[in-house]
Amino acid sequence: MSSIQVKDLSIKFRIYHDRSPSLKQTFANIFNRKKVSSFSEIWAIKNLSFYIKAGDRVGIVGHNGAGKSTLLKALCRVYELSEGNISVAGRITPLLEMGAGFNSEFTGRENIYLNGSILGYGKQQLKKIEPEVIAFAELEEFIDAPVKYYSTGMYMRLAFSLATAMHPDILVLDEIFAGGDAAFMAKAKTRMYDLIDKANIMIMVSHDHLLVKALCNRVLWLDHGQLIADGTPDDVIERYLASRK
Amino acid sequence: MMSARFVSFLSELYGSRSVLQQLIAQQLILRYRRTLLGYLWTLINPLLMITAMALVFSSLFKADLKTFVIFLLTGMIPWNFFSSVVTQCSTAFISNEGLIKKIYLPKVIFPLSVAFVFLIDSLLALAALLILIPLVGGSLSWSLLFLPVSFVLLFLFSMGLGLIMAIVTVYFRDLQYVIMIVTQGLFYLTPILYKSDALTGKVTWLVKLNPVTPFIALFRVPTIDGTVPGITILVWAASIAVATMAAGLFVFLRHEKNIVFRL
Repeated sequence: MSSIQVKDLSIKFRIYHDRSPSLKQTFANIFNRKKVSSFSEIWAIKNLSFYIKAGDRVGIVGHNGAGKSTLLKALCRVYELSEGNISVAGRITPLLEMGAGFNSEFTGRENIYLNGSILGYGKQQLKKIEPEVIAFAELEEFIDAPVKYYSTGMYMRLAFSLATAMHPDILVLDEIFAGGDAAFMAKAKTRMYDLIDKANIMIMVSHDHLLVKALCNRVLWLDHGQLIADGTPDDVIERYLASRK
Repeated sequence: MMSARFVSFLSELYGSRSVLQQLIAQQLILRYRRTLLGYLWTLINPLLMITAMALVFSSLFKADLKTFVIFLLTGMIPWNFFSSVVTQCSTAFISNEGLIKKIYLPKVIFPLSVAFVFLIDSLLALAALLILIPLVGGSLSWSLLFLPVSFVLLFLFSMGLGLIMAIVTVYFRDLQYVIMIVTQGLFYLTPILYKSDALTGKVTWLVKLNPVTPFIALFRVPTIDGTVPGITILVWAASIAVATMAAGLFVFLRHEKNIVFRL
């Protein structure tokens, strides 16, 4: 059974006012003790605690910069925690950005193996899903052409098909619904719902409140890195929308 | 604390070996895609350059061309590996920023894949050298079996320095250009074009202190002299290699989790 326990999580970012500190500046600062700090620190996440149990479908809402994506990235281990801890039981697959690690010089087929290995699939697994991915992306004719010759739609279809080819225990989604023509969108939606259905836990960030209401049974509302509310979608989203007026 | 980190570092590295493989393949495939001679360029390029250098310097030093070519090659193979790994590792994290910010991967695979690519290049160059030696009238001796040890030590040394460069360059972007200049200068302070004992004058002690010098000997002695390197050189090189690798791992393990905020 999958679960996610987040305890007193804080993540601190440094915002640099100028460029990255140069070698010269660092040397200057060694001798010049009363240095002016060239960055300010902000807490993207501050003292966040929650528990997600198996079967939960969690939506995260909040303004831009509320820390939603930062939280997802922390769950997927991209960001190091400044304080607190996260313990995850189960295999997480992030669908944060599709086509991360695609190489435009590579053919579609080569990218399946490159991107697939980055997503954590083994070679044998990839061999097994390769025909299905190509078929779903409708790229049979072009799969051995470099993806730099692909149209945006073709590229998106391949990235989407590959990213959704495996069923993870814990699914993490950040505002993604595939592009492409209407027919593909419909097909992709079915596939995505199927993926969500089979996932043990689903966590998504979305500004589409209808979608969150439709897919989630629980909503977290974040503001300035802090948890404002945690409850049923109808209740939390209503309060969130009311606060914006 | 540090040793626990090291253990999890190794197990993660093992877990992501297929990504490592893919990254290496990516670099190898892309380099010569759509070229006629393809991977042969890896050999043609340095061989032509070394031939040109040999022509110039053998006449300059009034040395026999054939023996000078072999002499030069045995110095250039370890040098090229060392300088390529150190300079290319420095941008390993920066050029993979997009990936590092989007998905979790053990970060060591980026510099490591760079090092493996150059290791493959060097092994090919070595194969070419072994073919060349009998052609110019030299002989192959059993001492060549020592070369794997030379490669291991050279790899540890270069990779250790590469790890440090990769991390530090994230914080100080100027370093990637400084390294290029420094390695170019270091080339002349390393006994590649000349024999280390043929040197007289003020810079002799600099060449002796140069940490790359013993690694050149590790390649040159087995190939040219036909003997196993002496124990002093071996111990000296091994100490430098292990110390550099340890320093590299230390710096890397301390900072690997912070670089994502600075990319």
